[in-house]
Amino acid sequence: MTQAIRLEKLAKTYGRRRGLVDLTLDVGHGEVFGYLGPNGAGKSTTIRLLLDLIRPTGGRATVLGLDPRVDSVELHRRTGYLAGDFTVDGRQTVRECLSFLAALRGGIPERRITALADRLGLELAPRIRSLSKGNRQKLGLVQAFVHQPELLILDEPTSGLDPLVQQVFLELVREARADGRTVFMSSHVMSEVQAVADRVAIIREGRLVTVDTVAALRERAVRTVELHFDGTVPAEEFSRLPGVSDVSVEGTRLRCRIAGSPDALVKAAARHTVTGLLCEEPDLEELFFEYYRNGAGHDRVTAA
Amino acid sequence: MTASPLPEALPTTWLPRSVWSQALRDGRRTLIGWSVGTALVGAMYSSFYPQIGGSMGDLTRSLPDGLKQAFNMEDLGSAAGYLGSTPFGVVIPLLALFHGAATGARAIAGDEESGRLDLLLAHPVGRVRLVLQRYAALVTGSGTIALAVLLMMLAIREPADLGTVSPAEFTAQCLGLALLSAFFGALAVCIGCFAGRRGLVFGTTAAVGVVSYALNSFGPQIGLGWTRHLSAFHYYLGGEPLKHGFQWADDGTMAAACLVLVGLGAWAFRRRDIGL
Repeated sequence: MTQAIRLEKLAKTYGRRRGLVDLTLDVGHGEVFGYLGPNGAGKSTTIRLLLDLIRPTGGRATVLGLDPRVDSVELHRRTGYLAGDFTVDGRQTVRECLSFLAALRGGIPERRITALADRLGLELAPRIRSLSKGNRQKLGLVQAFVHQPELLILDEPTSGLDPLVQQVFLELVREARADGRTVFMSSHVMSEVQAVADRVAIIREGRLVTVDTVAALRERAVRTVELHFDGTVPAEEFSRLPGVSDVSVEGTRLRCRIAGSPDALVKAAARHTVTGLLCEEPDLEELFFEYYRNGAGHDRVTAA
Repeated sequence: MTASPLPEALPTTWLPRSVWSQALRDGRRTLIGWSVGTALVGAMYSSFYPQIGGSMGDLTRSLPDGLKQAFNMEDLGSAAGYLGSTPFGVVIPLLALFHGAATGARAIAGDEESGRLDLLLAHPVGRVRLVLQRYAALVTGSGTIALAVLLMMLAIREPADLGTVSPAEFTAQCLGLALLSAFFGALAVCIGCFAGRRGLVFGTTAAVGVVSYALNSFGPQIGLGWTRHLSAFHYYLGGEPLKHGFQWADDGTMAAACLVLVGLGAWAFRRRDIGL
């Protein structure tokens, strides 16, 4: 078995509203997979389909080689799940909640629970109702990671976490990958996943827009280039170049945005005397905005 | 933390290990409230018997037969007759009904609406098992309330002149009470398994409860004697357990109805989407 998650034309329709349209996607074993999209794009729908909390209206999902509909209990035994809006009964204490959930999994050594809670800075004694949002999220992370499942399905795992805890979270994800476990995590911000994800999928309005490695996305990303010349240059000489957009000239300085290879731009600039060259790091976030906004960003960027 | 014989073991001696025990633990304060409240209200109404039992008998003699029948006031002179009218005929069963409806509405629909079911159902707990264990916790609660009422009745039996009703007859009536609460709990769980809206579930169950009460009490007055067979209250009170002891046929009917409702609910719950 090579795929941890295999989705084939997976579809979910809520009445007349479309939740997910013909989603086909594979996530390999041992992969950290980022699942990105704006709010309401269908991220949670996909995740809840994977876990058999909701049922597809079309297509099929295979998770850890199992049909979620048929083998949900077996599947849940081998997965850890953090919901996007993680809620538990506020009347329980943190310890009580964790030990109850551990008991449902047939028991987990307590020292493992305490060690993980310690690492995330989560106290075990307080009642859940008295916890801040961030601490509740830590509780959610503990219950998802503590049994060291083969597959982690995390819906917006870092929301509400402070930067220090986010670092601990990223360590946990890296450790999971080092152990050969699979992580499927959703987010609406690229920066959360680009640090750990091997591959990233972007969905928008229930459809898959693109799937690629972070490195490849970075190559495709739009970056801003600033060129300084010893004299003025005509803007139109640059604005027609492939992949180049938003050209502006102020005196001897030319600024533009470039997607994909900078070759054409460099060759055009070489016809003049270049006195300075500044190239910003590709802004992946911007790439995603592009996808979010119109989906057409895909065509434009890949054409470059 | 106490020393544990096994360093790897969880200190689970006092911690819940199943959906059933966790539901009971989460609801323990509410359940204590219901038990104490129902027992106290029951005791209060029942203890009026020495003062008004005899005189009410005289007072109601002039009332129309239909009215007396509807409110179970045909025999206010005897202890069993008095207890069967207001205390065990109206007040205590209505409290039991609302306990069943409220707890049953929370068991599935309430937790689903608040998003808590997602977490449980993403654990290795089958949906049917979840429904059955949550319902088992509800029945445990119904039994606890009925037991509290029973203990209270046994305690006030002598001081309140209720000695003509035997402990076995009180036990029979309280068993019926537990089943009544369990029945409306089963109804609420069943509706919750279909609908998943707590307010809707509670409202519908309470409405069915009140209509059932009316069918049993007033149906016969308007020539609809058969309708009382549709009412849970008929199986609870019709056999007059306070006079005739255990009514196994009625109790069996109630228990069977509970099983059918919960089974139907579990079947529906397995098939549908959770949350929205």
